[in-house]
Amino acid sequence: MKSKRFEALDARPVNQDGYVTEWPEVGLMAMNSPNDPKPSIRIEAGKVVELDGKQRADFDMIDTFIADYGIRLDNAEAVCKMDSLDLARKLVDINVPRAEVVKLTTSMTPAKITEVVGTMTVLEMMMAVAKMRARLTPANQCHVTNLKDNPVQIAADAAEASLRGFAEEETTVGIGRYAPFNAMAIMVGAQVGRPGILTQCAVEEATELNLGMRGFTAYAETVSVYGTEAVFMDGDDTPWSKAFLASCYASRGLKMRFTSGTGSEVQMGYAEGKSMLYLESRCIYITKAAGSQGIQNGSVSCVGVPAAVPGGIRAILAENLIAMALDLECASSNDQTFTHSDLRRVARSLMQFVPGTDFICSGYSATPNYDNMFAGSNWDADDYDDWLIIQRDLKVDGGLVPVLEADVVAARNKAAKALQAVFKNLGLTEITDAEVEAATYARGSQDMPARNVVEDLKSAEDMMKRGTTGVDIVKALSKGGYEDVAAAVFGMLKQRVAGDYLHTSAILTRDFEVISAVNQPNDYRGPQTGYQISDEKWAILQNIRQAISPESI
Amino acid sequence: MDQEQLIRQIMAEVMANLGKDSVTFQKKSPTPGGSIGRDQYPLGEKMPDKVKSATGKVLADFTLDKVKSGELKAEDFRIAPETLEMQAQVAESVDRDNLARNMRRAAELIAVPDDQLLSVYNALRPYRSTKAELYGIADELEQKYQCKVNAAFIREAADVYEKRGRLKVD
Amino acid sequence: MDEKTLKGIIEEVMKEMALVGAAAPAGKPAGRSEHGTTTLMISEGGQAERGTNPREVVIALAPAFGGKQTQTIIGLPHDQVLKEICAGIEEEGLSHRIIRSFKTADVGFIAHEAAKLSGSGIGIGIQSRGTTVIHQKDLPPLSNLELFSQSPLIDLETFRAIGKNAAKYAKGESPSPVPVRNDQMARPKYQAIAALLHIKETQLLDPQKKTQELRVDYR
Repeated sequence: MKSKRFEALDARPVNQDGYVTEWPEVGLMAMNSPNDPKPSIRIEAGKVVELDGKQRADFDMIDTFIADYGIRLDNAEAVCKMDSLDLARKLVDINVPRAEVVKLTTSMTPAKITEVVGTMTVLEMMMAVAKMRARLTPANQCHVTNLKDNPVQIAADAAEASLRGFAEEETTVGIGRYAPFNAMAIMVGAQVGRPGILTQCAVEEATELNLGMRGFTAYAETVSVYGTEAVFMDGDDTPWSKAFLASCYASRGLKMRFTSGTGSEVQMGYAEGKSMLYLESRCIYITKAAGSQGIQNGSVSCVGVPAAVPGGIRAILAENLIAMALDLECASSNDQTFTHSDLRRVARSLMQFVPGTDFICSGYSATPNYDNMFAGSNWDADDYDDWLIIQRDLKVDGGLVPVLEADVVAARNKAAKALQAVFKNLGLTEITDAEVEAATYARGSQDMPARNVVEDLKSAEDMMKRGTTGVDIVKALSKGGYEDVAAAVFGMLKQRVAGDYLHTSAILTRDFEVISAVNQPNDYRGPQTGYQISDEKWAILQNIRQAISPESI
Repeated sequence: MDQEQLIRQIMAEVMANLGKDSVTFQKKSPTPGGSIGRDQYPLGEKMPDKVKSATGKVLADFTLDKVKSGELKAEDFRIAPETLEMQAQVAESVDRDNLARNMRRAAELIAVPDDQLLSVYNALRPYRSTKAELYGIADELEQKYQCKVNAAFIREAADVYEKRGRLKVD
Repeated sequence: MDEKTLKGIIEEVMKEMALVGAAAPAGKPAGRSEHGTTTLMISEGGQAERGTNPREVVIALAPAFGGKQTQTIIGLPHDQVLKEICAGIEEEGLSHRIIRSFKTADVGFIAHEAAKLSGSGIGIGIQSRGTTVIHQKDLPPLSNLELFSQSPLIDLETFRAIGKNAAKYAKGESPSPVPVRNDQMARPKYQAIAALLHIKETQLLDPQKKTQELRVDYR
């Protein structure tokens, strides 16, 4: 006989997920592995000669890079000897200011900081995140993609996403050669919705840099780093090539952050038997050492791996916290799908949603998940109202604001039309009025007419060969009569001359004012300090379209 | 309301002072000739007349009309080495030395054309170059574009790649 | 390699697959072929050379494909997968050559290796779990012509279309890319299992061993 109780349980979404037991020898363990190295550091004549139990002669590439660039050495030996539990308490304690903690954490070794956060519960980590996040105001980021790589839809979805409050928007491609169109579409669309939104296009490293140099994107994020040398090689990079790439971006006035996450090493088959969190901590130190202002982490595309082992979601919060403790901008994942269960996906996100991070999601799918080309996000366009109402329930600013249908429709329509004008004036493939109309009211690519993919790819390639740049997009918008959008794209291009948004956790207001951890650092010190939702903002967050006012009855 | 605002204001002042104290604690001697710090930031908003593009144009004079007329071209939207140096000083003033170091490496690379920059990056990827090729790239960057820091960085990479067996093998 | 060793290996693989199968989450064994499965007989024929035939597509297998592992993550037998890819290439009138890479199990690099050794400059790389890439020799290794990253979503029909498109690229055509399927629920269900399969694949790597030409028989 089969138990009816178990039959019902087996049918639940949570039991559609894959789970595996720990296998520490190959690194299939989230954190606190018996195989993780014991913290140690020895410095002779200003040079690290021993790091986390390894002598310099035995250093691999990553050890060398971290030892030479990643750790503040003045006080490193002393901090390494401090009690890890005491250090963890300082992270949580509202009476110890962030700046004081940063001095300690940036002096730690990767094994030390892993040990410190390894003593904390998720609640304590959340307290620490509230204090250690670099920027005062939390924000959010979204994905804008679709199954058909339809640029008209991307423009419309980007415009809506801007209206809804996302500070950054990211696209990618199904087909690599669509990248220039998608990058243009998300930039134009985002600026229609709200000037000052940063946009990017996640593609292969060299292509991504090329798009940035041309002014098709404002920042880059898919600069991936890994915690073991073997995986770094499979990722086709080294710490030196990645650090050089970081400088390339800055040399063109482009914002950039690295990307890493627990589980990538074990996913790629070379974890050297270390825990996912220890290896991720090495990634974060590489990021710091390379001089990147920030990182996207929180397992990201490998989330199915930590989520399948015990304590995996705790490890994801721990890795976000390490990034913040090293004074880096943290775009804290909450992006890729990891579960069939609505309960699990909310529980996972509360870890970053409640304390607030620089970008709570990185990103939130601005389309229905069937169109999400990052293989689905933990949150999608169909969840917009859930997110808004959870913000309202908990009085938390999760980066989104309620919107009106009429405003959304108008923004989508304008974005699609603006892109139509750009395509026309740059001599690209045609965007028809029917497509504009479809994009205006579409929920996703199922509502969009098909485009001629082969023609689009040829047209994109020709455009790249002609050397088209962001300046040409500004002119094309202006010629098409979209003067305000032209001004917004121009405003974005201007940012790269000043370079203010190269600093930690930078975002832009609609007036192109830079907000970063330099001019608006997080100063949380307990109740009624740090970021507080203003009365005006609270009024906006409360005002959801579903609420019935007493006066109306 | 007023009371809350007052408390907030006092808190903000206290916090700002606390922040400053902690910074001076570790502050390095000021960069020679430079007095740029967090107070001047954002440079684009507070001193647009002092920020110039790589082509020497003043940021305060950038207008949409000049883009439309063709007076401002794509190459004018490039950051200048002096601007990145100022940003590096801002980063140092808030204790972000690694970021400052990256900005200084970047300042050197401004002069290097896009295509060449991409090819140097690709050459630094694993198994792409021999040691001699990487040293050659370093020499070229140093001699042609005065990229001293980057040249040393690339030579260092070549040495590490050699030790770790990550150079080009035929 | 003699028959006895081969038999031994096959037995070991079967046992191992039974284990992996047991660990897999409940769900239908999607895509398993109805008709009888042949056994893939693969032998190495020495170091793979650069081809000169402009009408060939080279297929590179990851270390465990058709050896230590015998089916993709959704249970498609490797012999059928290979047959479909080859049939796709043949439909376009081109020939195929199969090699195995031992230096890396990364699908991008495997595919790039195939492309570099291919007379047409077009190659296909495939991992045991089913992840597949169509590559061209003058692209960066981690770029590609077409990428099929979600192994649980690749059925036999898609494998045939991949072969066909690779052949079209080899002929200098610009085919419409094979439609990419997208199911965000593949990750929660399969990612950890995929990691396990990949770990087992990388355990077979041999950095000293040169890429090998393969002879493939179906029995």
